[in-house]
Amino acid sequence: MKKLIFFILFSSLITSIALARSTGCKEGNCENGYGKWVYTDKTTYEGEWVATKKHGQGTETWPNGYIYKGEFKESQWSGIGILFFPDGSTYEGEWANGFMNGEGTFTWSDGKQKKGIWKNGSLQE
Amino acid sequence: MEVSKNRFKTLSEPVKQFGGLVGIIILIFLTFFVLNNIFGEGDELVAKMKIEEERIAEERKLNKLISSLPSGVLVSFDGTDNFKLSDELYEAVCKATKLIPQRAIMGANFLNFRAHEIYTINGNKIDETFVKWDDEKNKCFAGFVVSGNNVGVDETVKVSGEALSFLSTGIDTRVYFIKNF
Repeated sequence: MKKLIFFILFSSLITSIALARSTGCKEGNCENGYGKWVYTDKTTYEGEWVATKKHGQGTETWPNGYIYKGEFKESQWSGIGILFFPDGSTYEGEWANGFMNGEGTFTWSDGKQKKGIWKNGSLQE
Repeated sequence: MEVSKNRFKTLSEPVKQFGGLVGIIILIFLTFFVLNNIFGEGDELVAKMKIEEERIAEERKLNKLISSLPSGVLVSFDGTDNFKLSDELYEAVCKATKLIPQRAIMGANFLNFRAHEIYTINGNKIDETFVKWDDEKNKCFAGFVVSGNNVGVDETVKVSGEALSFLSTGIDTRVYFIKNF
């Protein structure tokens, strides 16, 4: 029984160490400067950091295929950027507070496009 | 009556015993018939058991399928390096999938700001998720329901779209991309 408890505790420790080593700031400077951060769900951000926040130009890649390349402000997608959806659709244009806000073009994977002013992810007709 | 009694007395012992045996059997059948009518569900129970057996068989078939899939992202569309599902596999994976991870929900919320707001206010809580195969459209649909109080107003928002990619972990499959645009 003691051996089993020891084995479980030891396994948990090894797993925690392995997880801790595979997440966090993996390259560069993730406080002020340029660095790459890996999240526990394998989302990665590589780009500029200011006061430990994503700020400036960067690329955020989600494990399920969403990729945002562009400007960040206070860790949010804000400014000019392009979002690639997993199926190949894209939105290129202005962002604010993590949403499509401002002028932009949505292009479906089949080439169909919608261009205009967007507000919180919706095209204003 | 007296004549009948006399006739019974004149019967031989084996005939009497056989008659008794038949009587007991009839009595047992009648008892079970009455009990079954009072407490039993009869055909309904048999039908339920058949449905349950079919469900277990289907689940076993799906589990076998999941364990045979490669681990990683499975997609139903062209243009990626990920494992491309055949039409048959796409349907089977859809029917076997129950989970929708956070990133898939966050991705769908890009096109639904109200859902995003409620989701964020409620600490990423989801009321309900669903993954359904649509026989008419021959497509897999997935979605979720969020509800909560948003600026003093109780709101419920349902987000749904086509489930176009999945994650196979080797143990289960999860919806990885909901196309709601």
